[in-house]
Amino acid sequence: MTDKKPLILVVDDETHILHVVSLKLRNAGYEVITAENGEEGFDQAVANHPSLIITDFQMPFMSGLEMCQRLKDDPRTTDVRALMLTARGFSLPQEALDKTNIVNVLSKPFSPKEILARVQELLGKATAPVVRRAS
Amino acid sequence: MSFGKWLSLGVGLVAAVLTAVFLFLDPTPPLPIWGNGVSIRIGIAGVFGGLIGLAHWLVMSRFNAELRRLTCHVEVLTKSDVSDLTLEPGMGLAPLALAVEQGMQHLRQRTQKLVSKRRELEIQLRIAEAERRHAEAVLNSIADAVLVTDAFNELALANKAAASVLNFDLGFSRRRPIDEVLDDRALVKLIKDTREGAPSVANLRRHVEHRLTRNGREHVYDVTVAGIGGDAADSEAAAGDGHDALGVVTVIRDVTREREIAEMKSDFVSSVSHELRTPLSSIKAYVEMLVDGEAHDEQTRAEFYNIIQSETNRLSRLIDNILNISRIESGVVRVQREQVSLPSLIREAIDVMLPQARARNIELKDVSAPVFFQVFADKDMVYQATLNLLGNAIKYTPKGGRVTTSIVVDEAARVVRVSVQDTGVGIPPEDVPHLFEKFYRVHQHKKLAQGTGLGLNLVKQIIETVHGGTMTVASEPGKGSSFTYSLPLADNI
Repeated sequence: MTDKKPLILVVDDETHILHVVSLKLRNAGYEVITAENGEEGFDQAVANHPSLIITDFQMPFMSGLEMCQRLKDDPRTTDVRALMLTARGFSLPQEALDKTNIVNVLSKPFSPKEILARVQELLGKATAPVVRRAS
Repeated sequence: MSFGKWLSLGVGLVAAVLTAVFLFLDPTPPLPIWGNGVSIRIGIAGVFGGLIGLAHWLVMSRFNAELRRLTCHVEVLTKSDVSDLTLEPGMGLAPLALAVEQGMQHLRQRTQKLVSKRRELEIQLRIAEAERRHAEAVLNSIADAVLVTDAFNELALANKAAASVLNFDLGFSRRRPIDEVLDDRALVKLIKDTREGAPSVANLRRHVEHRLTRNGREHVYDVTVAGIGGDAADSEAAAGDGHDALGVVTVIRDVTREREIAEMKSDFVSSVSHELRTPLSSIKAYVEMLVDGEAHDEQTRAEFYNIIQSETNRLSRLIDNILNISRIESGVVRVQREQVSLPSLIREAIDVMLPQARARNIELKDVSAPVFFQVFADKDMVYQATLNLLGNAIKYTPKGGRVTTSIVVDEAARVVRVSVQDTGVGIPPEDVPHLFEKFYRVHQHKKLAQGTGLGLNLVKQIIETVHGGTMTVASEPGKGSSFTYSLPLADNI
């Protein structure tokens, strides 16, 4: 009998980023679902209640910050933590972060290894690492 | 006959009458040789009266002549500046003439002093008037609004800019209380507070941001208010004594455009930062995956290499955009013209943008006829302009949409037109006139995709500034846009 893999939602409007982050996490044994903007990310989070969300800050239709605020305000997802990636050249205001469940902010360009390390800090290592082949 | 002659005749008659009376009262008879005593007496009285009258006339004539001379002399002294004109009148009039002359001298000296003083005052008045006009001209030449109020909070000075910004009549406002002149209560309060709060030297000058709505648009003003405290020593003395300022100088500068530019620059830095970091993120992440051996087969590695190449190109294009705009604007761009075949240039551009279009499931199609059209242009620049138009079309077209390129030759106008048409979100009509402005971004598009607001500006500069072509756009919100550039055919240059 194997433990259920932690589910991670990755949200980014850049297909390549979405692809590489997902691959890194899947290779480390996590289950990954993806969304390409804040609105889609919110719907996915409500529907799947992931263990963690990794989201970009600046995205079309709804920003990562707005999505995380809505998720914290929603009782169905208020406990879902998030890790934010941002390509903005400055730090995000703390008062804005306080209204969300964002626990960590990483700056772009990022290292997939660093993301994995932060994820493992938050969720613990996935119990059954599975190496998946990218397709 | 003149009055003097009548008077002399009168005097002669009176003398004759008196002599006759005297002779008739005398008991002594006249001399016998004279005959009738009555006739003799009357005759003597007549002769004596005649002599008296004649004498009177002679004396009066002389006196009148002397008086006329004196009068003429006084008139001359009065009318002329001659001061050494001497007169020695007879008939005992010399002292009078001297007194008159001395009086006139004194009067003349006083008059000269007054005239001199008047001239001095006139000069000072002219200087003051010239200085006032000069100060007014200087004040009016200042683009910023300037108001000067006095110790009674009355408007002492203002320029045209102030009247325009604060909407008051300059001609009827001087020396009127400032709260009657200005409708802006906040500004009036600021001026009054400054005058009353000026005793502290540290508070003599301060800057306040003020917002005013003009012609339906909000403007941001930098208001400098300074208390007038005389010279520094006076100011400090006034400060020590706790007296109010003698007045307040208010300078109001419109900083709306500066704020907008600062905001645009800030947005630009933020956008450029985002635009540079995004492809860099992909490159760094995929390189790291390759180095760490997380691409397990050749196909995955090839895919990673392609992504790295595509993102490197994207980064390179962005940097080229920024640098080329800067070069074209500063006039240091090197244009290398050559015969360029537009169909093959467009094909190359499409090949480069294909991965980006495929990633968004957008069909990228060229419907140009396979004809060899040539223009004499800088190939790299036209290529970059085409890439920018394709990139925008892909960026603002929803998934599953279509981007089409086409070339049309207008033989009559001797130009070739290249169009990039999409089935994207379109552009609101109010944004169309601003599309090619530097840093301008369609508000509704900001949420759809990232951008720097430089791409279209560069396209326009390349086509119009560098190549003398034209750039046009047609768009319908919700249906799509068509960007067209025209370049002169090669034999036309």
